[in-house]
Amino acid sequence: MTIHFITAEISLEASSVDLIPAIEAALQSWGEPLRWAITTIDPNTHMATVEAVVTCA
Amino acid sequence: MPKPYTVVLIVPTGIGASIGGYAGDALPLARAIAAMGDRIITHPNVLNGAQLYWNLPNALYVEGFGLDQVAAGRWGLRPVRQNRIGIILDQGIEPELKRRHLQVADAARATLGLTLTEYVVTDQPLNVTLKTSASGATWGTIEHPDSLLRAAEHLIRQAGADAIAVVARFPDDTSSATLQQYRHGQGVDPLAGAEAVISHLIVRTFQLPCAHAPALSPLPLDPDLSPKSAAEELGYTFLPCVLAGLSRAPQFVTGNPDRHDIWADQIDAIVVPESACGGSAVMSLSQSKTRIIAVKENLTKMQVPPQALGISATTVASYLEAIGVMVCDRAGIDPAALKSDMLPLAALHLP
Repeated sequence: MTIHFITAEISLEASSVDLIPAIEAALQSWGEPLRWAITTIDPNTHMATVEAVVTCA
Repeated sequence: MPKPYTVVLIVPTGIGASIGGYAGDALPLARAIAAMGDRIITHPNVLNGAQLYWNLPNALYVEGFGLDQVAAGRWGLRPVRQNRIGIILDQGIEPELKRRHLQVADAARATLGLTLTEYVVTDQPLNVTLKTSASGATWGTIEHPDSLLRAAEHLIRQAGADAIAVVARFPDDTSSATLQQYRHGQGVDPLAGAEAVISHLIVRTFQLPCAHAPALSPLPLDPDLSPKSAAEELGYTFLPCVLAGLSRAPQFVTGNPDRHDIWADQIDAIVVPESACGGSAVMSLSQSKTRIIAVKENLTKMQVPPQALGISATTVASYLEAIGVMVCDRAGIDPAALKSDMLPLAALHLP
């Protein structure tokens, strides 16, 4: 297993109901999510920056 | 009879929270909320003060990854009378420092009456690395996560542990500017993010309570040590609070409901720094009837207020105000009635 830090940009066009699944799905393309949070939001582009730690088998 | 008033208190670790980002300096807040409510659910970062801790019978010590699962409704919490705590010691800890930690364990058994299993040493040094992200939050990694997980498996399967305390050797960097800032009650805890990764790995894999205490060499005396950081410089280890917390940490459950279990739909309020509403737990509970209370006073490195995510929150200036809101909530009082001005009742405009 290896541990990786990644940054992802997620569109906020989806409602907050769909936002968690959208974030987790995006992170799954990198590995198994271990810890994540939205750290900043661009009000102009409506994009959320997510910082995350994922693991890869 | 109304159900127990249950509050989740979140102060994310490693984001430079001005209240709670140091050595257990959010513990007085947890005590105040515990005095006000029937139950408080919070994570080790809030309740851990290294040598210092406080027995709160109505507090549930819930690791961050587990708390996220509870907020999402995937896991419930089952209160316990006592856990069998297994300790994992990093092979990278030098002999004298290892002995100090084992003495803490023995003291917890003799003086506190805690139940500890045999301990395990990892089969490889974990080799912790500390990093800071672009946002200013700290994180970290370990070189041999599989070694950590093997050690936990031994404790659970062979020793019968139902809670895990991890002690990993962290790098000593006594001259770093980051550490000096932290000791003076400023900046971001350089260790916190890596600690979260370690405990999250255990909880995600084994679904049981876990908390971490870093093994470090003692620091030289600093006459300008901040009161907020002082608790971590009283002794040789950070372990006492972890053992105290884990001894009664609730177990995680996914089914076979018991009437004493606590699930997300029983959470009345979640209290979070206003700028840190981008975490999984807050976002999950924002979809429920739970009142989100965002506190402006607690500044962090994050830049995610509730309105940026369309989260309907009660924004307050301070934790004192947050407690006032929850007192009203619990008593069934509209907080607006405590203000000096109140407008007459208005008619509903119908289409």
